[in-house]
Amino acid sequence: MSAGRGRGRENDALTAGRAALSLAAAACFGCLAVAPARAQDSIPPGGVRVGITYTPGTRPALVVATGTAAGLDSVRAILERDLDHSDQFELITPPGAPGRPGDAPDYRVYRAVGADLLVGLATVEGRSDAVEVQLHDVRRGSLVRRASVADAGGAGGRWAVHRAADEIVRWVTGRPGIAATRLLFVQNGRLWRVDADGAGLAPVPSAGRPTLSPTWSSDGRHIAYMAFVRSGQPIVIQDLQSGEREVVPTTEYGLNITPEFSRDGARLAFAHGTEAGTDIFVYEVARRCCVSRLTVGRFSDNLSPTWGPDGRRIAYISTRAGTPQLYWMDADGSDPEVLARFDFGATGQTNGPSWSPDGQSLAFHRDVGGTPQVFVLDVATRAVRQLTGTGRNEDPTWAPDGRHVCFVSTRSGTRQLWVLDVETGRVRPLTASDGARLPAWSPRLASP
Amino acid sequence: MNDRPARPRVRPSVRLCAPAIVPLWVLLAVACGGGPQPGAVVPAADSAAAAAGRDSVAAAARRDSVAALAQLDSVAAAARADSLARTARETARADSVRAQVQADATAEPTLVLSGLDSASTAELSAVIRFDLDRSDLTDASVAALDRKLRILQANPRLEIQIAGHCDERGSDEYNLALGSRRAAAAKRYLVEHGISEGRIGIVSYGEERPLDPGGTEEAWARNRRDEFAVTARAR
Repeated sequence: MSAGRGRGRENDALTAGRAALSLAAAACFGCLAVAPARAQDSIPPGGVRVGITYTPGTRPALVVATGTAAGLDSVRAILERDLDHSDQFELITPPGAPGRPGDAPDYRVYRAVGADLLVGLATVEGRSDAVEVQLHDVRRGSLVRRASVADAGGAGGRWAVHRAADEIVRWVTGRPGIAATRLLFVQNGRLWRVDADGAGLAPVPSAGRPTLSPTWSSDGRHIAYMAFVRSGQPIVIQDLQSGEREVVPTTEYGLNITPEFSRDGARLAFAHGTEAGTDIFVYEVARRCCVSRLTVGRFSDNLSPTWGPDGRRIAYISTRAGTPQLYWMDADGSDPEVLARFDFGATGQTNGPSWSPDGQSLAFHRDVGGTPQVFVLDVATRAVRQLTGTGRNEDPTWAPDGRHVCFVSTRSGTRQLWVLDVETGRVRPLTASDGARLPAWSPRLASP
Repeated sequence: MNDRPARPRVRPSVRLCAPAIVPLWVLLAVACGGGPQPGAVVPAADSAAAAAGRDSVAAAARRDSVAALAQLDSVAAAARADSLARTARETARADSVRAQVQADATAEPTLVLSGLDSASTAELSAVIRFDLDRSDLTDASVAALDRKLRILQANPRLEIQIAGHCDERGSDEYNLALGSRRAAAAKRYLVEHGISEGRIGIVSYGEERPLDPGGTEEAWARNRRDEFAVTARAR
């Protein structure tokens, strides 16, 4: 994108003037170099930016310093990738003349390449596995935040680095990043998980095969899914740590699909199908009892419930008017109405809805000319926007930051998971092997 | 098993005796004197034999109604036993689902031999097809279901499971609901034509078990289907 280059030219002009000023100020500011860092440590609850004014529509340019101590290269690589994937920064290639580890950064060099922010890494004296992450304001020429990342070289190392990256995003934007998250998905009928940066691919044992429609609880400790076992298709709630499984009552018989936990974790909505049609039910998970029915199918299908952020509305798919379309209703089943108006003749079936964490958008996929594409609906205005165009794109799931969506795409020729940033439109592949389906994005996870 | 309760059958002995009893007491009445007026039938109230005859008629009628009641009772008992058995089977199945969830059970459902001749077996397990995104029965499907209907009617103990399938297009999750509708449509046809509901189970596999993994129109047409499997033998 051209913003970085334009900024570079603009900064060149400013650099001369600023150099004079900062040299003069350095003497006075030198003794205060530590003070701004401490003052920044008392952050008000909403978060605060690091005192940089951004031109609207552009992103701060960030560079991750090279020339770190030996052994920190992998940490640096993970951190840089996480910051890149947040889509909150313009990542700038570091200039080619790294200083020695431990040197104070030469801000002029970084200003010359147009950076606003510099992330540095340093070892922590006396601790072999800890790393210090530093955030510098390049224009002001000072260190503004630092944090110690424990266990960076150990077993939890990747995760600690992800959490550090999320912290850096929070320092700059006020809201944490999504590097410390995972995705569940289905491949060859089995359940798999992968970290948000594509590493850590591992199978998740489940109750039957195929296992479909995995979903996370908002504490990240439980998942729910539908499994084909020999005598039925129950919905199973599984504890990720202990492996314990619980069958949702009433799902021992019939078709049971598309579970989703409410945000407060107290309820699980799902669809249950019999000869009379498929309807949406809610199970009181916290109370471990009480399944109630929300829709009356009359031989139509109602499925794929997705909860609003306050737990008061549920959006879902219904075939009551013929083809499956997006509806919503109160969480007790009252007041159902069409949510996404569709263009007769232009678009077809709508499926796979997912309500964003901030409640403002719904992502779903809809047939366009016989091929599913990912759309997003703005809840306030009901405006619908198409996000994809190449290949088949379906089953979107929101990241906790409410701006990234993971979905299944055949755009590269194989069926893989891709991640899309709704604000910039940038797309990247997440998995490589063929046949990934039905992804579900976790909440931010404190530990892997 | 036939759903309708059996009509109480009149015992053949009573039917045969009835025409004999009437002329018998006429003769007896004549023999004892004071025969009946011509054309009128007058009960010989004072004749012991007549009374015996009447008693035997009454006894026969009583025996008949007792037998009829016993018949009704046994039919009701059989129906109760049936539904209790079904409930017990359902409870056992629900228990086994919960157990299978704990045990990572991914075994296939056990196939049962039908106990029928090979032609009937082939007819019963023949697949029926569906149009894209539809669950209504085509004419060919109705004809195939009629043939299955005859086999089910002729073998009252036969039980089946109908499995609905879809082609791979369309949402994975929606296809599970569509498969369920396809299986339900076939079941509804059979039930409307007299097969007891409890003899037919339905399941949906969505797009999870294609017959033909090729991505062509022919492959997709083959995958949009209902399959029929025997779950309880004919005998």
